Amino acid sequence: MLGKLALAGIKNRRRDYLVLLAGLTMSAAIFYMFANLATNRAFLNANAVVSSASVIFGFGAVLLILITVVYIMYANSFLLSMRQHDYGLFMMLGATRKRVGELVFLETLILGTIATAIGVVLGLLLSKFLVGFLLNALGLHLKHLTAFYLPAIVATVVLYVGLFILASLFNLVRLTRTTVLKLLHSDELANQPKVNPVWQLIQGVLGIGLLALGYWAMAAINDLQMAAIPLALVTITIGTYLLFRATILTIIRALRHTSWAKKRLNGFLLGQLNFRVHNYTRMLTIVSLLFAMALGAITVGSGYHRQLPLMAQRTGTYSVAVHDPNAHEQKLLDRLDSAYTATYTQKRQGKTVYYNAAELKRQPVEQRAYTKTGTAKHVSRQSFKAFQKSGIKDLDFLSLALTKAGSPYAPKILSAAQFKQQAGQTITVTTVRVKNLAQDLGTLKRLNQLEMARFSHPAEMTVGNYQSYTLMLGMFGGLEFIGYFLGIAFLAMLASCLMFKILSGAPGDQRRYRMLYKVGVRYHLMRHGIAKEIGILFLIPGIMGIIDVLFGLQMFKPLMPAPMSPYQGIGLTFLIFVGLYAIYYLITLALYWRIVLPKTTDA
Amino acid sequence: MTTNTVVSVSDLEKTYGKPNERQYTALKGLNFSVAAGEFVGIMGASGSGKTTLLNMLSTLDTPTKGNVVVNGHDVTQMRGNQLADFRAQEVGFIFQDFNLLESLTAEENIGLPLALKGTPSKVMDQAIHEVADTLSIADLLQKYPAELSGGQKQRVAAARAIVHHPAILMGDEPTGALDSTSARELLDLLTTINAQQQMSVLLVTHDPFSASFCQRILFIKDGQIGSELRRGDLDRREFYQQVLNELGTFNE
Ligand SMILES: Nc1ncnc2c1ncn2[C@@H]1O[C@H](COP(=O)(O)OP(=O)(O)O)[C@@H](O)[C@H]1O
Ligand SMILES: [Mg+2]
Repeated sequence: MLGKLALAGIKNRRRDYLVLLAGLTMSAAIFYMFANLATNRAFLNANAVVSSASVIFGFGAVLLILITVVYIMYANSFLLSMRQHDYGLFMMLGATRKRVGELVFLETLILGTIATAIGVVLGLLLSKFLVGFLLNALGLHLKHLTAFYLPAIVATVVLYVGLFILASLFNLVRLTRTTVLKLLHSDELANQPKVNPVWQLIQGVLGIGLLALGYWAMAAINDLQMAAIPLALVTITIGTYLLFRATILTIIRALRHTSWAKKRLNGFLLGQLNFRVHNYTRMLTIVSLLFAMALGAITVGSGYHRQLPLMAQRTGTYSVAVHDPNAHEQKLLDRLDSAYTATYTQKRQGKTVYYNAAELKRQPVEQRAYTKTGTAKHVSRQSFKAFQKSGIKDLDFLSLALTKAGSPYAPKILSAAQFKQQAGQTITVTTVRVKNLAQDLGTLKRLNQLEMARFSHPAEMTVGNYQSYTLMLGMFGGLEFIGYFLGIAFLAMLASCLMFKILSGAPGDQRRYRMLYKVGVRYHLMRHGIAKEIGILFLIPGIMGIIDVLFGLQMFKPLMPAPMSPYQGIGLTFLIFVGLYAIYYLITLALYWRIVLPKTTDA
Repeated sequence: MTTNTVVSVSDLEKTYGKPNERQYTALKGLNFSVAAGEFVGIMGASGSGKTTLLNMLSTLDTPTKGNVVVNGHDVTQMRGNQLADFRAQEVGFIFQDFNLLESLTAEENIGLPLALKGTPSKVMDQAIHEVADTLSIADLLQKYPAELSGGQKQRVAAARAIVHHPAILMGDEPTGALDSTSARELLDLLTTINAQQQMSVLLVTHDPFSASFCQRILFIKDGQIGSELRRGDLDRREFYQQVLNELGTFNE
């Protein structure tokens, strides 16, 4: 009988349950995708050339577990807030605590198990499609990456079901300890925390201190090694929370006494914020962390994506060299946005390759100068005389004629007349230096493939800086992928976290805005009020998150050796991210308006 | 319409439900008016259309047919912001469930109608304290609704309803959720406000005791005004008896 009643209660709120289920499913799916990468030894060994990458993965996993724990706690309190009125009613009608406790336990566990099951399946599908799509879009190829990986499934199921058992027990204790009256009136209780200025000040100072410690730890990753990440994680989380607690409440209280608070709905807005400040500080902390991690991960990913071609472009001179281009290759060559193109005729005989002096004078070979420390400088063209002495020995020039074994032919320059007389296999080679490697990557890839298929160079031999690029991609591509992947994962988490806030607040707000409507508040005032309230919820963690990232990028300096830098070109990445965040804000706002604002027709 | 009529209702009809659905006509051609400074009660059994009528008067819902004029405004012709402003300025409303915002203190709740008008905060403070003295809730101003008893909440709600001096005060069973002592206190207060400030009061109730505080009572039955009772010079107890008698015959 009670079971039936409970089921009816769930049916009444099926939309809320659906969102809850969807959020948990999403979280389980993301965790599976991550576990799939993190637990796959073969994948890690094959791709993580940089040893710290596997360390990052390890901590990434810990981090994700922590976030998952918080996330489930959050979802669980939402579930509890949805259900406690019903449970209170059951108890008032005479159901025993034990019986209600059983119900709570079962309900939480069933919901969790369903979410985990669907989540793993979704994670499998997402792994298959999203990972493939991401690799494709980034032009990466990572070995041993499979969608189905049993240890990852086991890890996900164990973690989630375990957490849900804990959550069920927690709910059981919570519900059986609270009085029936409190359960029935849970949504009307006044929550007016007392403010002690001294304690507020201590909290604020402590918060800033912890934040500073966390930021320092990230910058000092070279000294602290493994300890840096967990240290930063703990201090920044607690520091952010304390700082929010200290400042937000104080600011709200101070504003409440101004005459600004007595204008239109300002007082209502402050009252709302004050009323939910405890909920909000927790939420804002989580969201600011997720924001920071999403932005940080994407910044690092896009940092590699943008800087690898730049870095490659600064090695050697030409981007690609094509021997005896056929019609197809010539078409591709023409498509390149060339800064310098040269074509030379070679005659190969024995271990020697002969060049025509006239051609070399007409189209000088380019050289790149390096500083003493090995940093690349601009390219230049030597005089023919100088070239005969030094330029002819450059690796880039030697690489234009390689034997099957991979060693270069010895170059010799002949006058035009002598060259004509010289016997040997005649081959032309066209070198192109493109203006922007990143822009021509597609065409270069095609050309390189064709060239490799026609002339069997040893694969690891570097010819042109496109080849350098592919080499670097092999080294750092894994990190680039992880960056983007984690960024998207954290962003999705952030979205569903905010979603919970919206939904758990909506029923109460619906009532409140209905009251305002009755009292005669204009529609646009209510709309503005909601826009401000939700805007604050988005703005504060956004600002905090950006600050976190600016400091946090220090951590990636060892992983992005000069001339790469985690800070280079972050402006655009930030702008795009903030744009996405703003769009998400607008969607959330529109949704909230629809849920909360009273319809004019019903009274 | 004369200038000292605050509410004038003619041919008011309300049908719930869309034309292609199952329809229900709650009000069937209602006519009555309330003079300035009058204390009028509207009585009727549960489901007789009292709340429906009050919703039409306070613009929370729109009539299917007929006219409603409140303090010179033709309510049926208003749209959007006009409706909101009308509710905020012309009527004060007391609800059965108090309708107080639990995130605001009593003071902030009371000040809301003034804040909406953009009243300077000095003027606002003064008005709030004046009305709080009238309703003897001065010591409750800093409390939140959750810290107040039902009777106290309803007095705060009454303060909010009159703080901006509306043309008419309407109450939909405002004593419905109160114990008898609190109910009586509130009714006495309404009587005082009506007498001292000459504010018209329209009280909807199904309870004869509450109704006996009025000067005139309209009885609704089957969506129409069935009969009317005037208190005249009777004192409240005698009038109460008369209301009971009337209900006896009215309900047959
Ligand atoms: N939104 C609505 N839709 C359909 N019928 C309604 C609606 N509101 C009220 N009614 C019906 O109109 C009649 C009058 O309701 P109401 O005015 O609330 O009565 P009272 O307040 O006198 O108890 C009732 O029969 C009720 O069922
Ligand atoms: Mg009613």
